[in-house]
This record gives sequence, structure tokens and C-alpha cells, in this order.
Amino acid sequence: MGIKIAAMILAGGKGTRLKALTRKTAKPAVGYGGKYRIIDFPLSNCANSGINHVAVLTQYESSDLNTYVGNGKNWGLNGVNSLTAVLTPKETEEGSNWYRGTADAIYQNLDWLDNLDPEYVLILSGDHIYATTYDGMLSRHREANAECTISVYQVPLEEASRFGILETDEDGVITAFKEKPKVPKSNLASMGIYIFNYKTLRAALIEDAKDEQSDHDFGKNIIPNLMAKGKKLVAYTYKGYWKDVGTIPSLHEANMDLLMSGDPNVNLFTIQGKNKIYTEDNHATPQYIGPIGTAKDSLINQGAVIRGEVDHCVISSDVYVDDGAKAINCVLMNGAHIKKGARVFDAIVGPDAVVEESEVINADRKEIILVTNGRNDK
Amino acid sequence: MNNVIGIVNLHADPEISPLTDNRPLGSFSFLGRYAFVDFPLSAFCNAGIETVGILVKDHLRSVMKHLGSMDAWVNNTKIGQEIVMYNEPAHLHPETNTDINNIRENDWVLYDSDASYILIAPSHIVGSIDVRPILAEHIKRKDKVTVVATRCLDARKEFLKESIISIGSSGYVEDVRDNDGTIEGPCLASLGIYVVNRTVLADMIHRYAPKNPTLSLDSLIYAVGRESGGTRPHVYIYDGFVRAIDSFKHYMDYSFELFDEANSKALFRPDWPIYTLTHDTPPAMYGKEAVVSNSFIANGAVVEGTVINSIIGRNVKVAKTAVVKDSIILSSSMIGDGAMVSNALVDKYAIITRSHKVTGTPNSPVYVAQGAIL
Repeated sequence: MGIKIAAMILAGGKGTRLKALTRKTAKPAVGYGGKYRIIDFPLSNCANSGINHVAVLTQYESSDLNTYVGNGKNWGLNGVNSLTAVLTPKETEEGSNWYRGTADAIYQNLDWLDNLDPEYVLILSGDHIYATTYDGMLSRHREANAECTISVYQVPLEEASRFGILETDEDGVITAFKEKPKVPKSNLASMGIYIFNYKTLRAALIEDAKDEQSDHDFGKNIIPNLMAKGKKLVAYTYKGYWKDVGTIPSLHEANMDLLMSGDPNVNLFTIQGKNKIYTEDNHATPQYIGPIGTAKDSLINQGAVIRGEVDHCVISSDVYVDDGAKAINCVLMNGAHIKKGARVFDAIVGPDAVVEESEVINADRKEIILVTNGRNDK
Repeated sequence: MNNVIGIVNLHADPEISPLTDNRPLGSFSFLGRYAFVDFPLSAFCNAGIETVGILVKDHLRSVMKHLGSMDAWVNNTKIGQEIVMYNEPAHLHPETNTDINNIRENDWVLYDSDASYILIAPSHIVGSIDVRPILAEHIKRKDKVTVVATRCLDARKEFLKESIISIGSSGYVEDVRDNDGTIEGPCLASLGIYVVNRTVLADMIHRYAPKNPTLSLDSLIYAVGRESGGTRPHVYIYDGFVRAIDSFKHYMDYSFELFDEANSKALFRPDWPIYTLTHDTPPAMYGKEAVVSNSFIANGAVVEGTVINSIIGRNVKVAKTAVVKDSIILSSSMIGDGAMVSNALVDKYAIITRSHKVTGTPNSPVYVAQGAIL
């Protein structure tokens, strides 16, 4: 008898629109909220759901992410009857293969799943920000006797044409799935989060792998194929904060949502308890606010030193804001240094980036920008 | 450093009432982030000492809560080990609850180990003390007992509960006195840190401990040194930043002096991290009207009001119109709207309700008990 459920977290994407932030690291490993990395969210959600068998599938710039995930210790996924595996593309008898799509990534690791023999498989994305348990979604899947359950998010109808949109009957059974429809008939957007009966998933992936025309993608291929076969797919409506950050402005916004003035649904202080987010511990010293420093409407991690002024900021460990320096509406990532008298507005200041003495950045405040040490190289 | 056993000696820490009524100083909170026991444990870890024993005198619950699964202070979780050493039989006869009897109860240290040296340190000595040169000198000189001391400018003002030692020209201990508050001028204060050859310690304990069941390790080491032909401790003088937490006022003063960057840089060196237990708390949150200056704020704190020259612990809430000045607030306490706290130590889980005032003076800070509602 195998296990009840295994989670497969897709974390191979490059996240090109995050520019220099993902030049040397994968998007799920990008820092967030002063202390976390994005992948802490799906991993903590699994831990909090009692899902103890988790694989993280990585590909693009994977060493940093692979090292970070390790044996799952940061999320407690290293206990008895727990397993955390990092699954990267590998060389096989047939040669070496990159993951050619989300479905192919799972297909190439069917051996790993076969060994566990789970009843259900939860497919997640490594770069979504949301704190939840998957208990409700799994109950929905079992009660509906479905072969696949897709988590959906209600988006404003006028924006629905940007998403993969599901149409359902009154029981929530999916009747149609349309990728970026021009005239959307529903506002239920797929979140790219699926629960499959493993047998169904296994058969579908093997069939898809044989199809040379396929993009080997869950949204484009696997789901439409199952619909065409008349399998029962149901929607599970997710309520609460959920963000798929793809761009510098959206990553900035997701950080600002965490502030006291931000989105109450993602307040890290109210999602404690069963939805608590776990992360790597660092050995930073206590956080210090200087004699003439000020910190308002901000989230500041241990190890930061604020001798200047910060307002509406999210600040990581080992950030140094020197005397007379000012950061307004900024995300200051690990090790960022704002030197004396410098001023930065509406920006993400990348890891270890230095803003020189008296330098003024983005004073016209027209858009959210990324500040890195290579900013002058362009 | 497989030939060294590190031992944290919680028996050697002072009682500071009322702070240590419910826990030993070793697990008492420091700077809203650490417990004092983190300093020797981190020193052992940074020096690569794999086997560590913790001599617990009492309040085992509090110590175990901080140590957790104990892997926060080991390099290799298979090779490294941290062993809690506790003398349960001594609780029927409290006067025999000494560090020596604790070691005898947990005598693997003496007999079941192949380590050559035992390094013993208390937890109330705060510093980033690199113990590797101390061990190296002990080994190079082929000494049997080394005691680590520091230069004290005025023993009436600091190192109040340490031994004051005099050394001869060869660097061995000549005389030892308790610091009774009458010693004037510069002197050498023992830091209660010893390096002892394992077999020498086993022999000392074997010969003397059965005759005197209330003997402490300090007294034993110096008593043996006074015997004719006995092993005299050699003195290693440590010149780095170091403080002895020995009174309520010193606890406050030595916390506040770290606001000064020169002091905090001396204590927190990039090459000498201080490890502690993680609580997975979110970063500290500041409200729109927060006014904070010259303060340490721990993760998990929510500050909406005014905090000046203070230390705010984990999960503490400071309400919008609350004012905290020159104070230390330990974890999970709440300072309500309009409340005013100055020159105070507010212990864990206390609630200072709306508009209440808690006022001490710099020389006589007020203590608010754990869980108190004022």
C-alpha cells in the first residue's frame, strides 16, 4: 500500500521578466517579504497540510534553489515518514533530457512517483505566494469523486482574457477549458494547481509523452486531453490572497501587500498557526534602528541596521541604511546598502546592491524600478 | 577539535533575583534574540568542538525549551552532540547540587571519552571569545589547568561575582580572592573559563569530591593549586570585549551599551556568528505612526507606538499611543494604548494595560513579573 498523497512542485522556470533578480537564481528562490523566498510558501503549505512527501522539480539556474531546498529541514519535511527530493533533469539510457514542459517534468519522474505509489498527486507551482492548506481542495476532490481537481481563482471578468479560464456547471464540474479566451464566459481562472488521481495522471502523461506535437504542458495538453476523454474534472474555488508574481512591479506590490497598510489577507502576523510560513534561519544580529533613524509602515528583518529613514518598505537581513539616507516605498533585499544621504524611491534594491553616497534614484517616481550593482553597465 | 569536550557550566552562573526565579540565567533573554547560553555554545561550535555537555543546575524545563532539538549549535548533526547533564539525585539534597557532583553523575565526560582536554565555560560571560588560541596555548605550554581571565579596571564596578586573581612572574595563579567590593585599582578577573586535561580533572574529582560533597569546581581547582606540589592553574589573559552579567542593573546597562556601534561591532563579529533557536517569526512590523529610535527590535514584534532607547522582544506589541523608553520588553508582552513604560524590565507575557504607567529610574529599574497584568 502506497502513501495517500505526494506533492510535485514545479520550480524550473526562469522568470525572465524579473530581470537581473533571476539572472543567477531561479524565480522560486527569489527573496520575498524581508525574510522569505517565494518557494517557502508552497513548501510551508504542504507541511501545514500534512503532505510529507514533496518533490521540487528544478531546471533553470538550479544550484541555489537545490541547495536551499536541501532535505526539507527548513519546513520540517525531514522527519520520520517524510521525504523531500530535488528532482533535476537527468541522463538516462535514452540520453539526456531537459524538461520540455510542465507535464514532461512530471513524466520524467514517474519512477519516483511509482516508488511512493501515492493515491493522489498534488501539482504545484514554486512561484506562487499564498498561505493555505490543501485540505479543502483534497476533500472537494474526494467528495466529487473526480479524476482531477483544478484550483481556480475568481478574477475580474474584464481581465479574464489574460488567464486560462474554466467553465463549470452548477456542481462545479468543468465543462470547458479555454486558454486566454477572447470572449470569456466565466471568471474562474486556473491557478495551475491540480490534484490528480495518480492512476489517471500516470496514464495521461505516458500518452502525452508519445505525442510529438504536444507542448507537454498541463494547461495546453493534459487537461484538454482528459476533457476530451470525458473524465470528471472539477473546479475548487480558492478564496484568499494568491499572487503569481511575474514582473518587478508585481513583486514589489506583493511585498507591499504584507505591510500593515497592505492587504489584510496576507498579513504574516495573522496567518500564524496552521498557515505559518517557515523559512531558512539566518544568524543575523538583532535589528537596530539608530538614534535619528525612523521606520514607518515597514516590515524589517533581523540583521538590518536603519540609521536613516525608511517609510513603506520591506527590508531584509543585513541591509544597512546609513545616516541621512532615505528609502521610500522600496523593497531592500538581503545585504543592500544605502549609503549616507542617498535617496531611493519606488524600487526593488537587489541583493547586495549598493546605492552610493548622496545618490538619488528614481526621484520622478513614474514606475517601479530594479536597482542592482550592474545598473550602470547597460 | 575531536580531542576537546566543551562544557557549559550553568552552576557557575549567578542568581539574579527576580530575573532568575523561574529560569537559570543561561536561558534568560538577551537583546530580544539570544539566551546567554548561546554565547558559550556558539563559541564551541565556531571552534569546531563537536562534543558538548551542558551542566544544568535547575529549571530544566526552561533550558530544554531553549535548546530544542539542539542542532542549532552543532556543525555535523551526526558527529556533533550536545548532552544535557543533570543531577537528579541532588534535588533531594540541594546543598550537593554542585557542578562537580553533576559531572560525577554524568561521568562519561571523565571516563568514557578519549578527549584529551575539557573546556568549561559559564553562560553569564558575554563575549565572542575565540577559544582556539586559548586551547593552543594550553597544549603548547603542556599545562594541566588554564584559567581565562581579563583585565578589570575597577572590581567595585564590574565582574562583581568573579574571582580576582593575582599571578606570579611565570603566569601561574598566586592568589585568589572573592570580589568582595573592596578591591581598588586594576586587577585580573577570572572569567570562570577553564581548560583542564581530562585525566587531571578526573584525578582531582576522584581524590577530593568524595570528602566534600558541597565543593564547587572553582574551589577545587584553586584548592589543588594551593597544595604543595599541586597543579597550579596557568592564566590566559583575554583582551577582547567581554562582560559579566552579574546584577539586574548590569543586565540593563550591558544590553543598552550595545546600541553603540563600537560595542556591538566588538561583540558581533562577522567571523564569529552567535547561533540561537529559530522561532519562525515574521520580520518586525512598524505601523504608520511608529516612532522608533536607538532600539533593538526583534522579529515578530509589532510596533505602532513610540520606542526610544529600548529593546523590544519577539512577538511584543506596542500599541499606537504607547511609549516605551529606556526599557527592555521580553517576548510576547503587550504595551497598551496610552501606556508609558520607562526604565523598566517587563518580563514575558505581561500586559501593561491602557494608560498605565510603569516608571523606574536608570539606577533602579522596575521589574514587571512574567504574566503580570498592570
